[in-house]
Amino acid sequence: MDFKKTEEQELLLDSLKTVMERGNFEDYFKECDRNHEYPQKAVDALVEAGFTTLGIPEEFGGTPTDTLTQVMVAEEAHALGYPSLCWINFATEVDDILTFGNKEQQEKILGYALEGKKPFTLGFTEPQAGSDSAAMATTATKRDGKVYINGNKTFNTSADRAPYMLCVCRSGVNESPYKDFSMYLFPMDRPGVAIEKLDKIGNNMCGTYEVHLDDVECEESDLVGEECKGFYQLMKNFEVERLTICAANVGMARCAYDEALRYAAQRMQFGKIIGSFQLVQEKLVDMRIKIENMQNLLYKTAWKKDNGESIMIDSSLVKRYTGQAAFEVIDDAMQIMGGIGYTHDCRISRLWRDQRVYRIMAGTEEIMVHTAGRALIKEAQ
Amino acid sequence: MNIVACYKIVPDAQDIEVGADGALRLDRAQWVLGEYDLVAIEAAAQLAAATDGSAVLLSAGGEKLNDTKLVKAALSRGADELYRVVDPALEDADAFQTASVLAAALRKIDFDLVVCGEGSADRYSQQVGLLVGALLGLPVVNATGSVRAEGDALLVERVLENEVEVLEIAPPAVVSMTSDAVLPRIPQLKDILAAGKKPVTTWSLDEVGGIPESPVETVSVKAPASIARKGIVLEGATDENIGELVSGIRASR
Repeated sequence: MDFKKTEEQELLLDSLKTVMERGNFEDYFKECDRNHEYPQKAVDALVEAGFTTLGIPEEFGGTPTDTLTQVMVAEEAHALGYPSLCWINFATEVDDILTFGNKEQQEKILGYALEGKKPFTLGFTEPQAGSDSAAMATTATKRDGKVYINGNKTFNTSADRAPYMLCVCRSGVNESPYKDFSMYLFPMDRPGVAIEKLDKIGNNMCGTYEVHLDDVECEESDLVGEECKGFYQLMKNFEVERLTICAANVGMARCAYDEALRYAAQRMQFGKIIGSFQLVQEKLVDMRIKIENMQNLLYKTAWKKDNGESIMIDSSLVKRYTGQAAFEVIDDAMQIMGGIGYTHDCRISRLWRDQRVYRIMAGTEEIMVHTAGRALIKEAQ
Repeated sequence: MNIVACYKIVPDAQDIEVGADGALRLDRAQWVLGEYDLVAIEAAAQLAAATDGSAVLLSAGGEKLNDTKLVKAALSRGADELYRVVDPALEDADAFQTASVLAAALRKIDFDLVVCGEGSADRYSQQVGLLVGALLGLPVVNATGSVRAEGDALLVERVLENEVEVLEIAPPAVVSMTSDAVLPRIPQLKDILAAGKKPVTTWSLDEVGGIPESPVETVSVKAPASIARKGIVLEGATDENIGELVSGIRASR
């Protein structure tokens, strides 16, 4: 078993470090966080250095890249302080469009992905349909050769910037919801689309919105893939998308750990560095164990995906574990920093606010128990 | 225009440890491309692209030059191929020895221009570029802020303290770039992947005529003893503070 990164992976991570060092973004991120602004300057630097091309097929101008490498890059960016929910490598997000979309949809969406612009906001969650996705009530109704979308979506990341919505709707054909969902891709500037910003406690650099869809007129060609197969199409990609989210968890945990470790090694109290006290050492040791465990589980899952093995169970395990473990690591990092960690001057406070939602979004940690637990029992039967 | 960029691999400065006797300990250091040489490589790649020519790399050093990651790191920055002279005797070569070996290797390469960095990132003697030019009997310019082709000639801007000299020289020639002449590119994954497929030619010392005796004997290389910061802060540019600053500096010498 070889745990060493390849030379190409090491050099790519060196390039990422150079981008982040040259940009010297720490104060800029603080300012963007304070002003609730998208960190466009950092995005531009990453786009220029080619990080949006990773995992996008060559025919669209990308560079074929395995999942493991994409995960390592996303993790490293967050470990270097890059803000969560603002990551610019959309290769896993656009997989649905690549697999099921028509040529025109692919060219538009992949073009935005390469520009570092989030191509679409996913219209999935609704006020009454969170973990219970079967309760989705947004409808796609055919009338006079057109399709009209009506309903409300919520927790839409970057709905203010994304040019498109990939919207999951009931088609009204089958009684079973899962066999009735269809995916439509339409521009966010279509008449009938209205957005409303949610006031949340963290991830200030990335706006999250409710989206109201009032008789949004679509062409039948705006359908992605097959009618009534939308749910299954979406599920195909959810497992891999989760890995990018998990990479952010590991990265944020490392970012907080690195800062707390440096602080513990120089902060003097009672005439000694606080890192000499065993209560602080215990925290650091447990934080490090969690980081190692998170990385191992995440890399192994990505490796399995790259080697054609099923990650149906693994993706739930790694989502649940990295969400919780990263939260614990960042919380302990704040504890080690003392009062300073609770101020906006210290970036651990941002990580503490921002990471919390990773235990909720893209499948709550409880739903991960549901998906993995059921599958484990089924395996044993 | 055919351009050769010279580079050196060096221990990463942040990994170098200083022993109690001031001796430098390099055993835990990662090896990297000299940061000033990255400027030379970039300038060569840009000029090659502008003149529809080629940029190749040349280095002389110890066995670490064979490190495949360092080769990819070098070739991911716009050059087409790499030449290297590898021998353990080159590990501690001084500026004259290095320049002699590079000059001998350059006699085997067809070039119009050799581009060097401002100095090596470890010893920073700033001599190799000048010595290579002298040994080859070619025009040589240091402190080069920019270089471009103008017809058959090279227009070189030499950045001096208070002025910029613009020189027109006839190739072949040798220049050493200033550290801020160009911003080295950040290799993308496609560049890194392509670097692994570019040709590399390795010469032994014998193939370039060996290494000359150095006229200089290095007795030791040591870090200066570090002095603890005094932590004195003088606020406000008053005459009194300036006087105190000057006398403080004098007293600490």
